[in-house]
Amino acid sequence: MDNFEKYITENKHLFDEHKADKSKIWQAIESELEPPKTIRLWKSPLLKIAASILILVGVFSLTNSFIINGFRSGTQNNIVHQELRDIDTYYKDLVSFQVQLVKNNPKLQPQDKEKFLSFMDELDEEYNILKLEMTKNLNNEYILEAIVNNYKKRIELIENLLKQINDSKKSNNNEGYIL
Amino acid sequence: METNILYTHKDLVEKSKSGDRNSQYRLYELYVDAMYNISMRMLGIKEDAEDIVQDSFVEAFKNLTSFRYESTFGSWLKRIVINKSINYLKLKKIPVTPLDQHEYHIGEEVSEPVKSNDINKVKNAIKILPDGYRQIISLYLIEGYDHIEIAEILGITVSTSKSQYHRAKKKLIEIVNVL
Repeated sequence: MDNFEKYITENKHLFDEHKADKSKIWQAIESELEPPKTIRLWKSPLLKIAASILILVGVFSLTNSFIINGFRSGTQNNIVHQELRDIDTYYKDLVSFQVQLVKNNPKLQPQDKEKFLSFMDELDEEYNILKLEMTKNLNNEYILEAIVNNYKKRIELIENLLKQINDSKKSNNNEGYIL
Repeated sequence: METNILYTHKDLVEKSKSGDRNSQYRLYELYVDAMYNISMRMLGIKEDAEDIVQDSFVEAFKNLTSFRYESTFGSWLKRIVINKSINYLKLKKIPVTPLDQHEYHIGEEVSEPVKSNDINKVKNAIKILPDGYRQIISLYLIEGYDHIEIAEILGITVSTSKSQYHRAKKKLIEIVNVL
């Protein structure tokens, strides 16, 4: 690079002599962009997951109290109760596994995860309160079966959400801006 | 340190990715003048430069998810503006490289020396350079691209870029000396 070239490159900032008509250009840009995204509660996967967990915890506590009350009411249904408790434990573990998957999901921002975890803590508190409140006996096998089915549906919902997150991650990876 | 530079305005970029209009506007405000000046140097006409800047920001915001901090946001955006400006010139059938004998290579021939270094004279001289010459001088000396990048931008070979640049520089010095 000779002196003339060096002189120009050293003074290149002086070539920025124009001022853009900011408001005019922005107006045009804004009209071409989609309206600002309003985050609707049920559109956010995180809230969907959180809501599902809330329902799950509620259902779980309900089941638990039924089982406890069932035991209190006598020993005639012990085998049935044991079976239901096993099913309950199985689904509880499955749910916590799914929650772990959500926690480990790289698609979610750390602050979102933190929000998610604090939400979970709140739900745990709520669960304890519910457990204390659910002392009335409504021992009915059909209801319990329905509750288990409900569990299954919630898990399915979480699985779908995780799949959606992963799918969107994949599709993001596929799009590249080629210059 | 380099990593820090790549992540300049990361917060604004991330919020803009999720469609936050305020962050988009703040990014726009930070870069609009620089981008407008780049486009003005390429096109030389206020209205055309405004259109290009507008289109570039719209494209940038719409494709922001594909921006992955492989360069700074500024240089990513700048490349969009340059590409759009070049495409616009091609569309208008304005030659982006002068047609005269650009397959002949000019070596490091000694050009006429510059009589005096005066940045205002240089600025005026660049403005009156023929199309093609003006773009290559701007890309190399002001925008800071090397010949490999210029070749890619203009769709020419590296040696054509070099020879065109030398012709353009010779012409620029001639003009500066008569101003």
